[in-house]
Amino acid sequence: MEQIIQVAVLGIGLGGVFALMGAGLSLVFGVMRIVNLAHPSLIIGGAYLAYWGFRIYGIDPLIMLPVCALVLAATGVLFYKVFFERDAKSATYSEMTVLLTFAIAMIVEGALGAAFSNTQRVTSPSYATDAFFIGNVFIPKGQLYAGITSIVIIGLLAAFLKFSRLGYAIRATTQNREAAALLGVNVNMVGLMSFAIGIGLAGAAGALTSFVFSFFPAKHWEWVAVLMSLVVMGGMGSILGTVVAAFSLSIVAAFVGTWIGSTWSTMTFFLALFLVLLFRPQGLFGEKPELV
Amino acid sequence: MSDFLTIKGITAGYGDGPAILDDAKMTVQEGKVHCIIGPNGAGKSTMMKAIAGMLPLRKGEITFKGENIAGLRPDQMLRRGIAFVPQERALFPKMTVRENLRMGGYILNDDKALSSRIDEIFDRFPILRERADQHAGTMSGGQQQTLAMARTLILRPDVVMFDEPSLGLAPKIVREMFQIVRLIADTGVTVLLVEQNAVMGLRHADWGVVLDLGRTLFEGPSAEVLADPRIQELYLGGQKVA
Repeated sequence: MEQIIQVAVLGIGLGGVFALMGAGLSLVFGVMRIVNLAHPSLIIGGAYLAYWGFRIYGIDPLIMLPVCALVLAATGVLFYKVFFERDAKSATYSEMTVLLTFAIAMIVEGALGAAFSNTQRVTSPSYATDAFFIGNVFIPKGQLYAGITSIVIIGLLAAFLKFSRLGYAIRATTQNREAAALLGVNVNMVGLMSFAIGIGLAGAAGALTSFVFSFFPAKHWEWVAVLMSLVVMGGMGSILGTVVAAFSLSIVAAFVGTWIGSTWSTMTFFLALFLVLLFRPQGLFGEKPELV
Repeated sequence: MSDFLTIKGITAGYGDGPAILDDAKMTVQEGKVHCIIGPNGAGKSTMMKAIAGMLPLRKGEITFKGENIAGLRPDQMLRRGIAFVPQERALFPKMTVRENLRMGGYILNDDKALSSRIDEIFDRFPILRERADQHAGTMSGGQQQTLAMARTLILRPDVVMFDEPSLGLAPKIVREMFQIVRLIADTGVTVLLVEQNAVMGLRHADWGVVLDLGRTLFEGPSAEVLADPRIQELYLGGQKVA
């Protein structure tokens, strides 16, 4: 029993971080139909920012988190203006963004490698290696803080989307772009803002990642497939679906890792993806595609 | 004609394609229900989109209250008091009825006014109050159409345009839709609508506009249009309609 709780706790901690990583990806896809393969590489970018903030100035990564989010959001605005804005009306936009973001991912990886070398890094505030014990259940503080922070940020994101005027506009644009434009929503501005928010979330996730995982520039390849599987499973563009998928699969993956072997734990995501595509291709919270 | 809304000489098409509308026109009288009819491919929906600003005009004149509004974007039309519901109803399926209504008043940017206007809509359409917190996409076709039409009223427009509000609805529900159209017109709002079923449309309208091959064939009081032999010829090559 204790072992079950133990594994579940570890799974939830990681689930929070994956949920935050996936939420930004899902938002950007939902509003802009951009399949952002560069998302995880930008998370690594955020992680480096937090790492150097700690290494050079001793700033706690949790304090660096808003800075990472803002810097990455600004990068997002820049990328959007340079790469994504002009072709937004093309019929093959999503397909083009797959290639484009693949290229951006490699460029970001290369730039990070050139600047910071390919050494494995991990931000090491005191809590990163510390733990609580509740009974015999071991709770690593780093994962706990990262998980809680992720949940808080996702909660804020949800409230923002639910109640703010821009949130209304973002949801409306996701669900029916033409109708939103018809009602006076500036859909280009909404696209830019959601892209900035999505990439900003990557920055925030990066700050958390920096003390939960050890990372290096090419690490994002490990995540891109996992995150894509979360987004597809949740239902393309459904942030709630992505979050639910992240938590449930991380917990399952933790059990698989413990009981079957850690080599198999990543497989959980792909096996689940396979099953979802087989039995519910629109994803957990997705709309059934219309047969037109 | 009157200086309320003038629509004439409209030429429009999609992309670089041929002109779907060629020199179409219609007369609009304030506070009346106008029905655009015509066979498939006559350009009814295209005409509506061209008026609403969803299609660029190649030629033509649209003036509203003395202002030239040809070539404005749909949201600019909206700010001037002309609202449009396209054929696909244009709802947000995963937003609640109330949220959809809030989106209807997006350009209002005034929370208090918006809430009170939504309350007014709920008073006029009790079914929407009943469903206020339900996702729009889970409602029946008729309820969705009611919501789409009611949503345009949030901004208290002078003119509303509905592109085939009866599409995909059962006959009984279609009658309800036309009752709603009449209710809207009774408050002084001018209604322009497209209808595939000419007889049904004309029976519920004050003014009929007959399009064929992108041109206005003729127009007039709907009873006269309905009785006109040219209608039967146009639709069924001389056979009786309905």
